[in-house]
Amino acid sequence: MKELVKFIAQSLVDNPEQVQVNEIEGEQTSVIELRVAKEDLGKVIGKQGRTARAMRTILSAASTKIRKRAVLEILE
Amino acid sequence: MEFLEFEGKTTEEAIANAGAHFQVPSEELEIEIVSVGSPGFFGLGGRKARIRAALPEEPEGDLLPLARGILEQILAKMHEPAAVTATQEEDRINLLIATPDAGLLIGKQGQTLDALQYLVTKMLAKQTRGKVRVAIDVEAYRARHNEALALLAQKYGDKVKRSGKPITLNPMNPYDRRIVHMALQGNKDLKTISRGEGLYKKVIISPAKKKESREDVAGPA
Repeated sequence: MKELVKFIAQSLVDNPEQVQVNEIEGEQTSVIELRVAKEDLGKVIGKQGRTARAMRTILSAASTKIRKRAVLEILE
Repeated sequence: MEFLEFEGKTTEEAIANAGAHFQVPSEELEIEIVSVGSPGFFGLGGRKARIRAALPEEPEGDLLPLARGILEQILAKMHEPAAVTATQEEDRINLLIATPDAGLLIGKQGQTLDALQYLVTKMLAKQTRGKVRVAIDVEAYRARHNEALALLAQKYGDKVKRSGKPITLNPMNPYDRRIVHMALQGNKDLKTISRGEGLYKKVIISPAKKKESREDVAGPA
């Protein structure tokens, strides 16, 4: 899951080397924390949150497959 | 290819201006010299050099494997065994996913498919200068969906014509709205407008105004 978010985020931002992804695994639910450079924040969120929403949609499809839930948190 | 004109005291300066405008090294540009400048006399009577410059067109073959590669990597990271075929259609890249797990990749009302398409388009745009359109389909889901949507639009169109009352459809994304508009475009008795804010708007199908049809009849003979 972590790799998925990392790959997508790195392809969207201007500073891919500053993309950090942390996965906090729970029993049922994993929380995936995404950190990017400040000026790239808008790029991973998108107009009216469209990019963030698209990432969350793909993430939940991928985690359904392994019968888990994953929550994406974009951190400043 | 779109050419733009640039001026400078010399052709070199004009080319440098073009490079600054397109934000690429000027040797990458396609350049035509319109006229060579002449220095004039003490800055008087000189003619400016004029050139025409444009960005070279992206070789289309390069984008296809790139787009396919991006999608394949996403699918691999989703642990989704799928084969992707890529084809080019005018300015659009079509990516077709063949998978035993179509339902998962399509998602509720095509949500997951839309999300994939949106992200791949953005990721590809980041790697290329030009604007590209990417269409992703799984097991001909979109083709079927579009056909069903056009039929639905026709059905509601007939209903509006019969009742003379407008009908508001459920909120739809831009692609779907476009299909509805296109399906009823040729129909003179109806008009369609989108109403609402943001990504998901509602399409309203209403009878074309009576006044307009009367004008048609009483037009210049």
